Amino acid sequence: MKRSAKNLIVVPRRSERRFYGHGIPKVELETLAGKLIVVEGADGSGRSTQIALLVEWLEDTGHATVQVGLKRSTLVSEELDRAQEGNILSRSTLSLFYATDFADQLENIILPALKAGFIVLADRYIYTLMARDIVRGMDEEWLKNLYGIALEPDAVFYLNVPPEELMQRNFAKNLSLDYWESGMDIGLSRDMFDSFMQYQTAVQKTFKYLQREFGFTIVDGMRSADAISADLRKKIGAVLAGRG
Amino acid sequence: MKTFAERGFPGRLIAVEGLDGSGKSTQIYLLKRWLELQGLKVYFSEWNSSEIVKAATSKGKKRELLTPTTFSLIHATDFADRYERHLVPLMRAGYLVLCDRYIFTAFARDVVRGCPPEWVRGIYHFAALPDITFFFRADLEVSLQRILDGRPQLKYFEAGMDLRLSTDPYESFRIFQGRMLEQYLAMSTEFNFVVVDANQLIETQQGMVREIVSRRVDLEQFRRAERPKLTERAKAAARQDAPPKPLEEALE
Repeated sequence: MKRSAKNLIVVPRRSERRFYGHGIPKVELETLAGKLIVVEGADGSGRSTQIALLVEWLEDTGHATVQVGLKRSTLVSEELDRAQEGNILSRSTLSLFYATDFADQLENIILPALKAGFIVLADRYIYTLMARDIVRGMDEEWLKNLYGIALEPDAVFYLNVPPEELMQRNFAKNLSLDYWESGMDIGLSRDMFDSFMQYQTAVQKTFKYLQREFGFTIVDGMRSADAISADLRKKIGAVLAGRG
Repeated sequence: MKTFAERGFPGRLIAVEGLDGSGKSTQIYLLKRWLELQGLKVYFSEWNSSEIVKAATSKGKKRELLTPTTFSLIHATDFADRYERHLVPLMRAGYLVLCDRYIFTAFARDVVRGCPPEWVRGIYHFAALPDITFFFRADLEVSLQRILDGRPQLKYFEAGMDLRLSTDPYESFRIFQGRMLEQYLAMSTEFNFVVVDANQLIETQQGMVREIVSRRVDLEQFRRAERPKLTERAKAAARQDAPPKPLEEALE
């Protein structure tokens, strides 16, 4: 007997939901039927490739998706770009500006989409924001309180690629290194190459440290895109089936 | 949280807080005049935020895009900007800095909007507390009347319309201000407010403010170093009568 197309679609199981801290006032967590999947990693770690592959797979298997990422809010994304161009904001200010961008997307995209039963794919989440700030010497407790508004995702994948390889990939793609991704604002070194290596090493160390607290999955980003994708699909499949 | 003095800053920060229409701006203006006419290093923070943060804030307000959380965060961003770019350098340079409103406005406002108090306080934890905070306490009706008499156009967020307290902006504003007052009063002891009865005459209040400032701050430390006035310097320069140097020599 031929199986009907309907039976091939996995209807996601509801997950236990919680905010990391105080959360967003007046949100009924039990109404959030969708799933929140986060892909973390440095520029050049393959995040966008992996997200594109996941979208294809999820849609193929009958799931509707929504994508979010840093600096994409209606509220402050343009202003954040301008602020970064001139490097005119100081530490806490820039940090709070990013938090505003995150909160705007959380309330206006992520939570409504989850309520409507979508699979939300986040191209980075609070962990990148926290890691960047911790490397810049900001107080960890302060950051945890600030990002206590965030919803705990159903799965978080950190694509781990060593700084030497990130460097090569960034050159191959853009022929240059990004000012912020090189941590030039911190003043580690006037030499951009040295600064990039030191900065990315520090960020990576911080991610490993945050991993202990937030328990995300570290994925070896040195493998082929297909191999990594197969890995992610397996884990996300388990999440959808309620075995995550 | 610690005050600027406790954090070792040479400057001192004096803040005024109170509802709209409590007369606090008048009082801090008179305090500023008194201090600067004594020749002290005073800076009145007019809260000029940088263009970029201002642009985002006004966009959010105009288009009514803000939720309690983003309202709180964007104002915290704005405060951090002014704090780090303006206040901290001035406090390190040993100024007497006067602020019309400080973090307590945010504490009261955001909590009234439904943000958790500990979350809001945690966000502002980077900021030092004022060395003196005056709280101008007027009867709710008196301050409401002052505002509603003079400026009948209430803005959306200012009237707390986002809280859906009432569809009438004036009624909404009344309820909102009433809740703000409750929050201020609840903070009064915790943050050591000097409560001034704002129903008194302007002069009576100012007398009390000046008395407290001179008792709690060693004002002599903030005297500007004597410098010859510009006219005297100009005269002295004119007396020297030295011939101008040739260009090449001046450039060496």
